[in-house]
Amino acid sequence: MVMQIVCVSRGTYGGGKELAQKLAQNLGIPCLSREEVTDAATRSGIPVGKVEMAVMRPRPLSEQLAVERDRFKAFVAATLAEKALSGGVVYHGRTGHLALPGVSRVLRIRAIMDAERRTALTMQRLNVSRAQAVRYNESVDEDRHRWARQLYNVDWDDPAHYDVVVSLDHIGIANAASALVAMAQLPEFRPTPACKKTLEDVLLAARCRLAVGDEPRTRRVDVRVRANGQRVFATYPPRDAAVEHAIVEVLERVEGVEAVQCTMASTNILWIEERFHPDGPVLGQILEIAAKWNAAVELLRLCPHGAGAPGDDEPESEPVSNAAEDAGILEDESIERASRSDCSKTDSGMTDTMSRLLQAGRAGERRTVCGDAPELLQGLDRTASCSLVVVGNVYLDRAESVRKRMTRELGAQIAESLRVPVIATNELEEQYLFGARHWIRLVGLGLLTASVFVLLFREQTAVLEFFSSRQLGHRVVATGILAVVVPLYALVYGTFTQYLLRLLKFE
Amino acid sequence: MLPDLLQRGFIELDLIQSLQVIALGFVGGVLSGFIGSGGAFFMTPGMMNLGIAGPVAVGSNITHKFGKAIIGSKKHGELGHVDRKLAVFMLITAAIGIRLAVWVMKLVSGSADTHGGHGVQGGPAADLYISAVFVSVLSVVSYTMLRDTLRGGNGAAAKPSRRLVEFLNSLRLRPLVHFPVADVKVSLWVVLVCGLLTGYLAGTIGVGGFIGVPAMIYVFGVSAQVAAGSELFLAIFMGAFGALNYGFEGMVDLRLVLLLYTGSLVGIHIGAYGTKVVKEVVIRFATGMIIALCVFSRLIAMVVYMRQLSVVSYDPAWDAYLNFTSKGILYASGASTAVVILWFVFRAYVQRRRIHASIATSRPMAPDGAMERKEA
Repeated sequence: MVMQIVCVSRGTYGGGKELAQKLAQNLGIPCLSREEVTDAATRSGIPVGKVEMAVMRPRPLSEQLAVERDRFKAFVAATLAEKALSGGVVYHGRTGHLALPGVSRVLRIRAIMDAERRTALTMQRLNVSRAQAVRYNESVDEDRHRWARQLYNVDWDDPAHYDVVVSLDHIGIANAASALVAMAQLPEFRPTPACKKTLEDVLLAARCRLAVGDEPRTRRVDVRVRANGQRVFATYPPRDAAVEHAIVEVLERVEGVEAVQCTMASTNILWIEERFHPDGPVLGQILEIAAKWNAAVELLRLCPHGAGAPGDDEPESEPVSNAAEDAGILEDESIERASRSDCSKTDSGMTDTMSRLLQAGRAGERRTVCGDAPELLQGLDRTASCSLVVVGNVYLDRAESVRKRMTRELGAQIAESLRVPVIATNELEEQYLFGARHWIRLVGLGLLTASVFVLLFREQTAVLEFFSSRQLGHRVVATGILAVVVPLYALVYGTFTQYLLRLLKFE
Repeated sequence: MLPDLLQRGFIELDLIQSLQVIALGFVGGVLSGFIGSGGAFFMTPGMMNLGIAGPVAVGSNITHKFGKAIIGSKKHGELGHVDRKLAVFMLITAAIGIRLAVWVMKLVSGSADTHGGHGVQGGPAADLYISAVFVSVLSVVSYTMLRDTLRGGNGAAAKPSRRLVEFLNSLRLRPLVHFPVADVKVSLWVVLVCGLLTGYLAGTIGVGGFIGVPAMIYVFGVSAQVAAGSELFLAIFMGAFGALNYGFEGMVDLRLVLLLYTGSLVGIHIGAYGTKVVKEVVIRFATGMIIALCVFSRLIAMVVYMRQLSVVSYDPAWDAYLNFTSKGILYASGASTAVVILWFVFRAYVQRRRIHASIATSRPMAPDGAMERKEA
């Protein structure tokens, strides 16, 4: 049987539920609804109702509810991953595909229906007036919108998050399901061993997160867990430092965990390279920034497409399926197979760099992404606390000008996706560290600030007389001077204090 | 200093008083970084306690806010946290609110008799008016925060009553406007009214964030980051407009503005760091308490103003004690909160060097069955 993962995102009375059930029936795999997952999560002790109510009312989540929200996300991820690994699943709900970060080959369907038809259905089913039905549908859509934003920081309605948008106005559910079955069987949606491995990582990380939430000592800890192979990476905030050993104990007990790496960190710095140099200056600079910010450093090795030798043919890169059923897939897989085989063979300095980070107490997660910006962005957690992304040397096999352009585009896409500063490694010192140039600027700005002060207080009587003069001309000029001088002074002195605090490593 | 300048509300600033203003700015900055508001709820009454006329305190504070907001907004803008469309819509009526506030301030300043005190024409009347607005608005804010904190309620900032919020949320008065960065749809009328109130308060007591930010979060449904960023962007223009208006009326003391910057632009970094190392419930409780104490301090000062306006009568010799008590409560509350925050910050700074920040374990197991463990 082919392992198939299909996620149907549906609105209210949009026909998505019926479509998902028909699709599951046609594919011969189980169908799972959001309601079933929510009920199971509630039975396991997660206050889903409270989280939903808090999200629906426009107010920020408290620390505790934010922890419960993360537990719920982990529950959904674990349930979906388990079902997917057992042979496949068709899930229908709000944003199921977002619960499986980094898992490619998921067929993401958005089912929609014409607004008027939805209103008519709502009127019929709830026995309400047209105006009430319109309002009901609008408020439910808004709630879903807010839910997706709170849990995954995405726009639920954005078609870019889906592979296909199906309108059930002009096509019946049975025919739509038939068309989607054909689509589901395309090579692009047949999970590969790499996809299976990512699913296993997601499942392990989710189980670890749930284990931390089930343990009374660590129930309230805001811990972030990722997994790579059988190695688990966890970060927790400084305020939970007292239970760090309990966190490690809990994670060690989870089945399938062979190694645990647990770091106290307020935030994360994501460092992207094609090859890491543990003895280079960049690591030292990043460690200095991480120490100031109390950040964990995540390593992400990017292996762009075409980075491997063409023509490699490894059996383990075959899709997870019966080979006879999937004739013709192999040539589509060749690029991915070649890249992955080269990626998997070399370490590119990652292990040594991670060892240095561990020694410094700043170790975060490490992973390798084979592909380009889309694959990299797919695996990013948009809700994680990340303060900085550092993009080093990538696309090394490209020409200089192409490399610069592609790197710049990659940085722009990451910045837009995560809404955090993205800088190149050669900008680290200028932006975040304190070098010789900053000394000159610090002294210069300090002198300027002091000069303004001395001048103002020596001539304070004259200045105050001018600014409080009753003459119209004076008042207009004084107002103009205020409009210019005040922000300029704020900028000068603000920059001075920024450099000073950077010098004191307090930023 | 010339008597004329003293009459217009400016004071002699010797070294001690200058240091006090810097300290006010520092504490205001720490609170600003800590709780996300501008700190004006502390700085404005703090300056009034130093003997600075109310309108000059408000005018100088709003001018100081103008420059600070430019720096803060720039950072938030880089992170994509500013919804300029939302800020512009609120600014339309915020500007009207500020203008209205300045007009009322002039009216109040020019209408009362002088009875000693600062010697400022209409001084006690303006001071009483500012204090009354301060007390009435911020007592509600502090009560709500403390009530929610003691009840263990949700929410990271002061929020209006649930009924009011639900009522406003249910108001879907057309036209509805979509704000792309905030990703919300809100009734235009609700946005304009919130803008008007924010502007009026900013123009009267220099405090706008306590209405603007909770309104964006709890009424509009904007995320906290975008609310903070957008409010800072709005504060640039409100601050500029307020600064220009007050400056034109001769009510801005540039010395105070610079002294406030000296303290606040350092304090804000410390306060922001404090949010990383202090639990949310402590932040909310500390914020609620300091606002409550500021309100109490103003209440005492109001008694003095009322005596000066002959609303109440008692021995004028008591004024010195009442002023001292008002000032003492305010300084004690600000200093103690700042000290608590500094203690947490210092402790975290030291602790991060001592705590094993990274623990790594791996199989094969050690002889006792546990995983091998390395700590950094």
